[in-house]
Amino acid sequence: MRKHLLALGATLALSPCLMGQKIGVINSMSGPEAPIGENISNGIKLAEQDLKAKGIHIQLVWEDDTGKPQISMSALEKLATRENVVGVVGPYTSACSNAVAKLAEKYRVPLLIPAAAKEEITRQGFKNVFRMNAPADKYASSLIDAAVSLGKPKTIAFIYENTDFGTSTSKTAKAYVATKGLQVVADVSYPKGSADYRSTLAQIKSKNPDLVFMVSYVADAILLMRQSREVGLRPQAFLGAGAGFTTTEFAKEHAISENVISCTQWTDDVNWPGAKAFGQRYKAAYGKNPTYHAACAYASMMIMGETAYHANGDRAKTRDGLKAGKWNGVMGEVKFADYDGFTNQNNHQMLVQQIQKGNYETVLPAAFATKKPVYPFPNWK
Amino acid sequence: MAVFFQSLLSGILIGGVYALIGIGLTLIFGVMRVINFAHGDIMMIGMYLTYILFTFAGIDPFVSVLISFPLMFIFGGLLQKVFINRVLDALAQNQILLTIGLGLIMSNAMMLIFTSDYKILTTSYSSSTIKVGGGVSLSTPLVVSFLITAAITAALYWFLMKTDTGQAIRATAQDREAAQLMGINVKRMSILAFGLGAALAGAAGALISPTYYIFPQVGSVFTLKAFVITVLGGMGSVVGATLGGILIGITESMGAVYISSGWKDVVVFVLFLLVLLFKPAGLMGKSRT
Repeated sequence: MRKHLLALGATLALSPCLMGQKIGVINSMSGPEAPIGENISNGIKLAEQDLKAKGIHIQLVWEDDTGKPQISMSALEKLATRENVVGVVGPYTSACSNAVAKLAEKYRVPLLIPAAAKEEITRQGFKNVFRMNAPADKYASSLIDAAVSLGKPKTIAFIYENTDFGTSTSKTAKAYVATKGLQVVADVSYPKGSADYRSTLAQIKSKNPDLVFMVSYVADAILLMRQSREVGLRPQAFLGAGAGFTTTEFAKEHAISENVISCTQWTDDVNWPGAKAFGQRYKAAYGKNPTYHAACAYASMMIMGETAYHANGDRAKTRDGLKAGKWNGVMGEVKFADYDGFTNQNNHQMLVQQIQKGNYETVLPAAFATKKPVYPFPNWK
Repeated sequence: MAVFFQSLLSGILIGGVYALIGIGLTLIFGVMRVINFAHGDIMMIGMYLTYILFTFAGIDPFVSVLISFPLMFIFGGLLQKVFINRVLDALAQNQILLTIGLGLIMSNAMMLIFTSDYKILTTSYSSSTIKVGGGVSLSTPLVVSFLITAAITAALYWFLMKTDTGQAIRATAQDREAAQLMGINVKRMSILAFGLGAALAGAAGALISPTYYIFPQVGSVFTLKAFVITVLGGMGSVVGATLGGILIGITESMGAVYISSGWKDVVVFVLFLLVLLFKPAGLMGKSRT
């Protein structure tokens, strides 16, 4: 009996080595953010398989934050103190990530945030907090840069919903166009859920802007584009920032979504190593197309897993490894750098996509593009 | 100038649909003196009905009015018979609570069935337009729905003015007790009125579906609008509600252009307050003693 117990004890003591490094995952697996959270979980599971194939065994400890910052925080405390993880990947939302970042710094646990947009998160000088995706300001600047590089727009009109999301995104965009010498000819916010935007759009049409920049969710994005067509608004380009312009529902509305330009962190047709294969594998495994969140989460877990493995489970070494390392994979080149007030921020290249024949096609930057952009916007069909 | 005419015409067209919602509410109020706070939710049911007919049976939203109108009439009649008739003599706040409760049940039931996702109906003509000239263009589905609205309103007016049943409904609205003494079955008239009101709301829902989107909470937006229209036009007046609806449509549209689209509701409510201040009974209302 004693022998058995000893053997059991020895196995338990050795088990971390056998089971591999412990890595925590905080994600919104239930609650309102669950549909996106699912993408993140699936991406991480695929990374786990690939790490295993490379001979890197990791042991994942999953925590569900239900999209609430306070639960996210207690999850990190648990992972840092009780589970003794080497590093953490997650959480999803900006609010959770921002709350957890402070704790990660306190407990000195390397935290790799895959897909939260709020700029502030990596602007607080935290040494242990890393971020994979490009922050929110890149959305506006990459779209405007694309338009400026394609044509010679001089004027721009803004139309956005009067929520925190709409006003903050367009505020960053307005500050950016000022540096590009574009003149803002219309600046209109609208209350979400109005039935009729025609008069507002007719007014914008009368200003004859070269660019129209819109920030909306799905339903309003479709209504705005429908009614733009009705009143015959025809700028050089429609730039769609934000959720509504990057969904399959929007792309399905051929008559009105064709040639609309939007931007994203990742597409499955970009020529980054493994991106296409990742898209196909994801679809085969889960029966639907991955969102950019899945690719961000996959790349984050691959990097965290490898680094933790090479650091032999030491948190400080893992952090230094993340800081010094350089990777090239489904998310393109990844390097956590300090620039423009950011710390440990991957200067991720946003992709500009355009809906062509009902599909999102990557059109810019040219180095990663598979299709040529259509510019200026052709007449309505 | 094109902007002016564009917003004026858009306002009139969307106002037509608002009017249809307002007429239903005013009819119910006129006959029963019950303010139906579930009106927007009844309209929402009409929208989902249109959605189901379109998605699963392929019936065009405008044609589906022929089906949803009688269905919503029966639905409204049932609501009246089972619930509202019982509280006709109760305190006003009890009636309000009952209709609010019914509305909540409807919107939450729809959320259970269809989830809270937005549904969009895409017909072949959803984004087609008619060019009027001078750079002004009109949405084809809105023009069609405006014409249907006009036809329904005219038919309703004829029904209320010329037929015996219509006269009986008006008599009930004027004086319930006197009508009863004259041998009018007022309970039946109430069921008819509520059924008609619900059918009109349902029709409005069907007519707006091709150009708007559908979600379970959409009703609250329109309940408030219908309420403003009804009070603005004069409680119980069909002509008043028609005018009120179009007036609100134009005000919203103009307010969005010449003041700010974020402030368009404020413009509407300021107008509303002004009318109440100078003509407390509403545009077409007769003050009651």
